[in-house]
Amino acid sequence: MARDYLGEFEHVTVLAILRLGDEAYGVTVRREIASRTNRDVSIGAVYATLDRLESKGYVKSRRGDPTPERGGRSKRFFQVTAKGILVVNRTQKAFESMIEGLDLVRSCG
Amino acid sequence: MNGRSHSAEPPRLGAWILSLFLPAEYVESISGDLQEEFLQLRTKSGEAFARRWYWRQAWKTVARLAGRGFSAAPLSTTGAIVAGLLLLRLVHSLPDRLLSALTDRYLFYWSDHLHAYLWLLRALPIEYLAGSAAVGFLVAVAAKEREMIATTALSTVLFAMAGVASVWVVASTGDSSFLWNLPRQCLDPLVIVIAGAIVRNRRSQTRSSHSA
Repeated sequence: MARDYLGEFEHVTVLAILRLGDEAYGVTVRREIASRTNRDVSIGAVYATLDRLESKGYVKSRRGDPTPERGGRSKRFFQVTAKGILVVNRTQKAFESMIEGLDLVRSCG
Repeated sequence: MNGRSHSAEPPRLGAWILSLFLPAEYVESISGDLQEEFLQLRTKSGEAFARRWYWRQAWKTVARLAGRGFSAAPLSTTGAIVAGLLLLRLVHSLPDRLLSALTDRYLFYWSDHLHAYLWLLRALPIEYLAGSAAVGFLVAVAAKEREMIATTALSTVLFAMAGVASVWVVASTGDSSFLWNLPRQCLDPLVIVIAGAIVRNRRSQTRSSHSA
């Protein structure tokens, strides 16, 4: 079986879900990514990535209860699976291995 | 206050577009997420800012997830579009063929009732539109949860074909009056999208009545 790795935005999204724990749903995931990476992220980009991650089995979702501030609509909470943890670790190690020994500050200067 | 009615709800048209184009499984969660953020932004930064933000998010979300919806089932969606094009070709040739067959068979009748013949001739565009609507319904039903993606894609192909054909005719004949037909030819794609929206709305209503 081919060893799978996460794409850059998939990696960021999985890390955001892990940081948020039980409170990971569309709004919080989008805000977490926006505030930590300092980029404008659309809810569509987040859900397109979550949909892809879910189809690969790296995250799973469940529906919460409907709330009035959402017009009676329910939240969809996301959680990283064991397979997801494995792939995020593998991707992280690949990044660290690639960055090892590089002096990025000097390279830019 | 500028006198405009201020609503705690996000823009209705934006919410409706989202409900039409998003994959069915995400409509509730994404609409809820956007409404939640809209209300918070409205309180923090004002109605106008929140509305602009909502519209920006809605367009970006539709673009991203419609593309994702297509890539999730490319074969069935493409199949529905190709079948729709073939059906349109068949359906659009029917009124002409029927009229030719009738006039050939009852030539004496038509010469005596020229007005009825002219009426039938004038009604041809309406028959084309009815045919397009029927094809739009069929494509939307066949595309299952991707009604709007399939019908919008079919309409875009039709619109592009009509545009290219008009430009080609104008370029080869030098007669720009053909361009005046373009708005009428846009009606077919529009009717197909409307048929897709009707099927989608109907399915959403059925789904929500089942879950209630």
